[in-house]
Amino acid sequence: MKAGIFVATLVGALTSVAVAQAPNPKDISGYWELTYMDSQHVPRAQLSPRVTRAVLDAQAQKDFKAVRWCNILGMPAIMASPRPLDIRQTEKMVVVAAEINAATRYIYLNRTAHISKDIFDPTTNGDSIAKWEGDTLVVDTLGFDPNKGVTAIPGGGFRTANTHLVERYRLLNNGSLLSVRFTWTDPGVFRTPHTYEFRYSRLPRDYEARLPLNCDPFDETRTAFLTARP
Amino acid sequence: MHVKVFAAPAALMLMVGALTTVSAQRNAADGARALEGGWVRLDTSGSGSFGGLTANFARAVLTPEGAAKIKPQRDPDDVDPDNRPHKAGEPYIVTQGRCGGFGPGGVEPNSAALFIVPTRDEVLLTREGPGARHIFTDGREHPPLSRISSAGLGHSTATWDNGDLVIDTVGLNEGGVTAGGWRTPETHLTERYHVADDGMHMRITFTWTDPKIYVQPHSYFFDFERIPADSYAFENWCDSGDPLQRQSVVPPEQLP
Repeated sequence: MKAGIFVATLVGALTSVAVAQAPNPKDISGYWELTYMDSQHVPRAQLSPRVTRAVLDAQAQKDFKAVRWCNILGMPAIMASPRPLDIRQTEKMVVVAAEINAATRYIYLNRTAHISKDIFDPTTNGDSIAKWEGDTLVVDTLGFDPNKGVTAIPGGGFRTANTHLVERYRLLNNGSLLSVRFTWTDPGVFRTPHTYEFRYSRLPRDYEARLPLNCDPFDETRTAFLTARP
Repeated sequence: MHVKVFAAPAALMLMVGALTTVSAQRNAADGARALEGGWVRLDTSGSGSFGGLTANFARAVLTPEGAAKIKPQRDPDDVDPDNRPHKAGEPYIVTQGRCGGFGPGGVEPNSAALFIVPTRDEVLLTREGPGARHIFTDGREHPPLSRISSAGLGHSTATWDNGDLVIDTVGLNEGGVTAGGWRTPETHLTERYHVADDGMHMRITFTWTDPKIYVQPHSYFFDFERIPADSYAFENWCDSGDPLQRQSVVPPEQLP
């Protein structure tokens, strides 16, 4: 009888350990990289008639200045990084650290409402909150700064102070791929919500993160390259 | 009967072993839960600018070889000092206005918030701008120094010790260390992150070890306070293209 209790307790304890160590299908932690050519499915955005050629040119000039002076890039450029993203998830948040000149992204899982507009100073990454819907992490972002960083959105258009972004993160292929569907909504920029998908490949666990790419705004060779006509 | 006699102690031993493992994991998990979140460095000296903080640290005791290495440090962004008097309200340039970097020396937090993100394989240390420290907790070892970038953050691995995070770093670039120390890529930096029982205060103890440089390990600590539960990470903005970025000194009107 006692032996039976011991065995039952032991099985229970070992089961607890096994459960604790099982991979979590809702954990997107890891190093993720966009592979060359075949990882981005981006249709052309349907732009609002108010977005004229002149508006696009003015926005492109602002983005150029941000690149020229090594400003932090922000969303959505950080998610299109040519170097791997380190995405780490805890109970309270998801953090996205890039190896490019972009501020770390903080996505809050422990908050159900955005920071009040009266308090939040708009940023290049905006204010992001998230929740799990089944096996999909749904990230909702508001509070973008329209004048800082690179504002261009893949497929056309740009972010403004009124832009709303919803991202849907989902693991595919037994966790080896991370699909992120981006949907941008902004009546001043898009006629219809603009959706595209990136698929990131998981890097081996022994990947060693590198320092962010150096960007020197006072590098004269770089400046000449950026400003000269080809 | 014999089976029962031997099975029960065996099961007990297995269970104790399993529970010990669970307990050890719980210590690490408890430590991770306690550390997670945002922290700001405290000005325990009360100077208002952290100015008196490091002055109270015990000075490094250097070997002759270590003392010979010490040389003046200058921020590469500084411009030659303009020593002429400046009128009140007249701005003058003391820096090129270059943006970037990851805090003093790359490893010591400054007054901006520090965020600690512990996960199974890695602890991520982030700030409110670009860059991060990636602290590997998966049991890997440091690579040869020749494979570590000399750009500043070195290579860090960590273990959990009774809920404290203990980070070992090598491969830092050569340069000065707080309170009269020096470092080379061979120098080991040990950081112990300890959260107080109240969960609201944290101490990071820095210990520099290098027999070529230090007579004894050189140690000091910084204290931190957890940011409020309803707070969030800000975003540092710096624009090297803004001329005001360089005009960092403007003498105020002087009182009679």
